[in-house]
Parts: sequence; C-alpha cells; structure tokens
Amino acid sequence: MSALAAPFIGDHYRVTAPATVSHPVPGPETFESIVDDYQRRLYGFALRMTGNREDAEEIVQDAFVRAYRALAKMDPQQRAELRLQPWLYTITLNVTRNRLRSKRPTNVALDSLADPDALLNETQEGPDQPEHIVDRAADMVLVEQALLQLPMHLRAAATLRFIEGRSHPEIAEILNQPIGTVKSHVHRAVRILRRILGPQVGRIVQNDRPAAAEEEE
Amino acid sequence: MRCSDVERLWDEMREGVEPQREHVLAHLRGCPECQEIYRENEGIAYCLTCLPLVVPPQSLVPKILDHIKATVKIAAPDSIATVESPIGRLYVAFRHTGITAVALDRGEGDEPVLAKLQRRLGRGLILSQAPQWVTDTVAAFFRTHRTDLEKVDISELSPFDQSALRAAATIPPGEVRSYGWIAEKLGQPTAARAVGRAMARNPVLLLYPCHRVVDATGALHQYAYGVEIKARILALEGYHPARR
Repeated sequence: MSALAAPFIGDHYRVTAPATVSHPVPGPETFESIVDDYQRRLYGFALRMTGNREDAEEIVQDAFVRAYRALAKMDPQQRAELRLQPWLYTITLNVTRNRLRSKRPTNVALDSLADPDALLNETQEGPDQPEHIVDRAADMVLVEQALLQLPMHLRAAATLRFIEGRSHPEIAEILNQPIGTVKSHVHRAVRILRRILGPQVGRIVQNDRPAAAEEEE
Repeated sequence: MRCSDVERLWDEMREGVEPQREHVLAHLRGCPECQEIYRENEGIAYCLTCLPLVVPPQSLVPKILDHIKATVKIAAPDSIATVESPIGRLYVAFRHTGITAVALDRGEGDEPVLAKLQRRLGRGLILSQAPQWVTDTVAAFFRTHRTDLEKVDISELSPFDQSALRAAATIPPGEVRSYGWIAEKLGQPTAARAVGRAMARNPVLLLYPCHRVVDATGALHQYAYGVEIKARILALEGYHPARR
C-alpha cells in the first residue's frame, strides 16, 4: 500500500488560503480599491455557485452595492472592527441565495465555464496535444456540473473550502454556522460528489498526474 | 478509531494541524475500504482545486462602480438650506433631482439637525442657499397645501415607503385618513402598522403629507415634532377635528 502514503494524503495539494488583503479602514472613500481587490474572488465564487456568467456578474454588482450602502451607514468603530473578506463573501452568498431562490430550479444554467478555447490559449506554449487539452476541458465541465447538482448549502461549503481555499473557521464565519456544521457540510458535499463523479475522479487525477501514476508501478 | 471517524477527519487532516493524524494514518494502513474513500476524497478535492480560475470580464469593475453611482449616488452630497415658513424655519435638503428631506428648526442649531439628516439620508450635506425652485416649492405648499411631487425625490426609499407616501399624497388638504386606509390602498389591508412606520420614516415632512395620516379613531397619534405641530399644520390646511 505504498500508493497510499503518497501522494493521496493531503500534503501534496493541501488547500492554500490566499493571503487576506488588508485595508486601512474600509469606507466609502476607499471603496474603489475594495472593488478592485475583491471583484475577481467574488465573481469566481458567484460563478461557481450559479454556473452562469450573467448571474455572476449581476450578483457581484449587487453585492458591492449592498456592501457600499452598509459601509456608509457604519460608524468608524464598526468599520475598524469589520472583517472585510468574510463579510463580502457573506453578502455575495446572500445575494446568490436570493437570486437562485427566485429562479426555477430547472433553470440552473449549465454554461460551460471551462472554455476549451481558453484552456488552449493558456497552455499553447507547451507541446501538449490539443486532444488531451480538450479531454481535460470536458472533465472540468463534468466537475462543474457535479458541483451545481449539490444543494445550495453544501455547494457553498464545498466551494468555499476547496475552490476558494478558506479554512473551517473562516467558512463558519462566512456562513454564520458552528464549525461542526461546516465540517459536516463539507463532508456531505464530498460524499455526494463522490457518488456523482464516481470512477471519473480516478481518471481525471491519473490523466492530470502522469508522474504520480508512474510512481505506483 | 472507526471508519466513520476517519472519514470525518479527512478534511481536517488536510489542514495539517490535526492532532489525531497518526491514529488516522494507522487506521488507514489497516483498512482498505477507508483507503479507497480517502483516495476518492482527495480526488474530489483535487478536481475542485483544478477547476480553471475564472476571470471576470474587464468591464466588471467599471460596471460595479457605475452601478453604485447609479443606485447610491456616490460622493454626491445633497445641499441643504433654510427656508422660512408659517410654522417656523425649515431645513430643506435637495439635489438636482428634487427635495430629499425637510426638517423643522427647533432652535437646536445647524449641527444636530444636519447630523440627524445625514444619518437618515446616508450621505453628506453641504450648507448652502436655497435656490428659487426650492423656496417656491415650499411656499406653494403653504399657499395651496399641495406639492408638485416632481420637485421631491424619494427614489432612495424602499418601494413600500415610496408607495405609502404616494398614497398619503392623494389625501386632499383639509382631510385626514387612517393608516389602515393607506394599507387598503396599497392592497395590503393588514399592513397598517407598516404604514405607520413608513410615515414615521418620511424624510420629506409636509411635502409628502404624512401629517394627514391618523389612527383609526381619528386621534392624531404621533408626529416627528409632536402632535401639537401636527394639529397646527392640519389646522392651517383647514382640518378641525371638531367639525368631523
């Protein structure tokens, strides 16, 4: 069972949390730089949550308007104590929830976010065969769609944990839930994804990590 | 250490701070089923982290800022000026879209009044002179007890507050209606209390005549500056409770 020791146990692709951007004190005056710093992250989050670019754009716009309004009403003390990043995630999630709730569930759009063209462009440098790249794009579409099949609260937990790379306590703060609940949601999300993606997971990992596959020999 | 524990601890271990790590590893070495789950879980986590980074369109930042400007009117404080009236000096806040607030001067000085209005409007106020259209709008109200609503901007209020105030504006001068009457008009007959709160929040006193809204028994109920002022304004409009 040498294959177990490495590379499948956490260390190799442990989730890394990007450093938190810190602002002096958030407020309407510094709002433009807040938008600059967080729009990518929140857009990515909204896109993973909705699977739809148009929705994601509107959600982010809405979320920033709400944030701006809320900041304008805070007094200096509240602003100084505000933890901007989790707070912005929370607002984005609330807007997403409202939006998805008002849509028919069957409307959960399935835009392919993993754009094969974009992937081609990204990796044009290397000697990769286009065929391999298209396969990978198709695999990523499978993963995206599996994520979109999760119930909202599990999708939020899984997205924050694995895609946004947030820690359990951070997710607990964002979702306003006890850490135990967060852990169990993450866990349930993974279990469902395992059921949906099944054997394809192994293939994706193998295709992606030829080096690791060889090691097992 | 049972299989279910191991499955539960998997994600915590990925954080690299789990003290039970050794126990989990020991269990895994002896349990092929958990190994399988482990491998699959790691596979799922890996697949998710592999999803391509999504990049928002370049137009997103300007769109967001425009959106904020459009809905919040960023960095554009209202002007505020004092205007004399039959019930005393009024503070009138305004911008090019219309009058946004009216407050009665009760002799406490500019500072507290401005602070209160700024909080209510959620934006700054600059003390200035009243332009002609502002004094005219106020003068017209005291002359005719009607308001040209084109000159008043309540667009930043909640939709409910806006429609409640618009309904109040249909009450003819010299008459009063109940909170319930407005609720009926809005098609929400049970919302009388919400109407009461909307009236209490009315930033544009007089011009949107929340003073013409009273409780079901006809009692004046409440007013921002006390029921005596409410009664005085109603009297100016020709309403006398005794004549009802």
